[in-house]
Amino acid sequence: MAASLSSIGNVRVLSALAWSSSLCSFSGSRGLHVTVSCCKNRAARIRVGKGDKPVTYEQAHHPHHIGHRKGWLSQHTSNLKGEDGAAERTVEDVFIRRFMFGTFHGCLANEIVIKRRGNLLNVCAVMLQKLPPQKFYFLIGYTESLLSHFYKCPVKLEIQTLQDKIVYKYL
Amino acid sequence: MISPSVRSLKNMASLMVRKRELFSLARILSGVSYLGPASLSVCSGHRKCNITRFHLPLTPSTSFHTTVLTSAAQSAITVTEEPDTLFQKLVVLVKGHDRAVLDSYEFFATMTAKELGISLGKVFEPPKDIERLTLLKSIHIFKKHRVQYEMRTHYRCIELHHITGCTAQVYLEYIQRNLPEGVAMEVTKTAMEKVPDHILEPMWKEIPTDDKPSQ
Repeated sequence: MAASLSSIGNVRVLSALAWSSSLCSFSGSRGLHVTVSCCKNRAARIRVGKGDKPVTYEQAHHPHHIGHRKGWLSQHTSNLKGEDGAAERTVEDVFIRRFMFGTFHGCLANEIVIKRRGNLLNVCAVMLQKLPPQKFYFLIGYTESLLSHFYKCPVKLEIQTLQDKIVYKYL
Repeated sequence: MISPSVRSLKNMASLMVRKRELFSLARILSGVSYLGPASLSVCSGHRKCNITRFHLPLTPSTSFHTTVLTSAAQSAITVTEEPDTLFQKLVVLVKGHDRAVLDSYEFFATMTAKELGISLGKVFEPPKDIERLTLLKSIHIFKKHRVQYEMRTHYRCIELHHITGCTAQVYLEYIQRNLPEGVAMEVTKTAMEKVPDHILEPMWKEIPTDDKPSQ
């Protein structure tokens, strides 16, 4: 789903924080700072830590960078103005991601990109070279046939393999 | 000194590459000319060669070649006696989330129209639509803390003038086969029809004798 947080929400949050902190200082309480549990946005973000956690490009950028520094992971037309079917596509996407995560367990290097072109469902994934190629071929064929029978539309899998995950930075 | 098995593998690899190139060339030169080379990349794929007899080197490859059933679509050119429909205006409106994708698609569509000799009208960008949602940030309480999402729809409009039915069909089919994912298209056709014969002449010219008894 194409979504980006606007800055208005952040301004509101910051003003609420300032108001709550000023209230506490007026009452003269002994350091009991009551904060709202969801002041900062936590969606799809990996918090900055010690510097030992490897993080990919996709994970390092926050959701408000979608459209600017990031692309879309799921591309279909149902979120455009005047088009319908968004809920069905989202449910399909969630199922496909979980299915791929389970079938190619431990082999996924990055998030799965799902593209829909007419009737065709194109699932693009980047894998690690953990399994021998014969097993990969079998799993690809199995996934394609199972998903096409399930969704009643042609499903194509486009796989690329890498030696190991590409690290963008360490957080 | 290259061992004979490796040499034979190399020969087979070069042969396979040549076979693939010949195959793609044959498809391009065959009668499917109006589809264009761009759509071939969608329809056709790499042919899986019979490598089962040889010992494949077990070095992991970076991409997987999967077979795609290539159906030989024979284009039947039908010639009919009935006159072709004429379109005064053909309006193609494309909608998408990404402006860059729509830019490249507009370049592609205008280039196609120029190559096919279709007269282009206006090519412009209607203003974008933003649909905003303000939702509660937390699942339970904290009504004062919300989160805002927005969905942007960008448009691009291409107008073509004075186009025949056959040309319109071919152009639209080519355009639609190469529509990128996440882009929707709406086509509005304005057809021209011949004025019906019974309203060509005004009715009062045919009946002059009825005026005298009414007066």
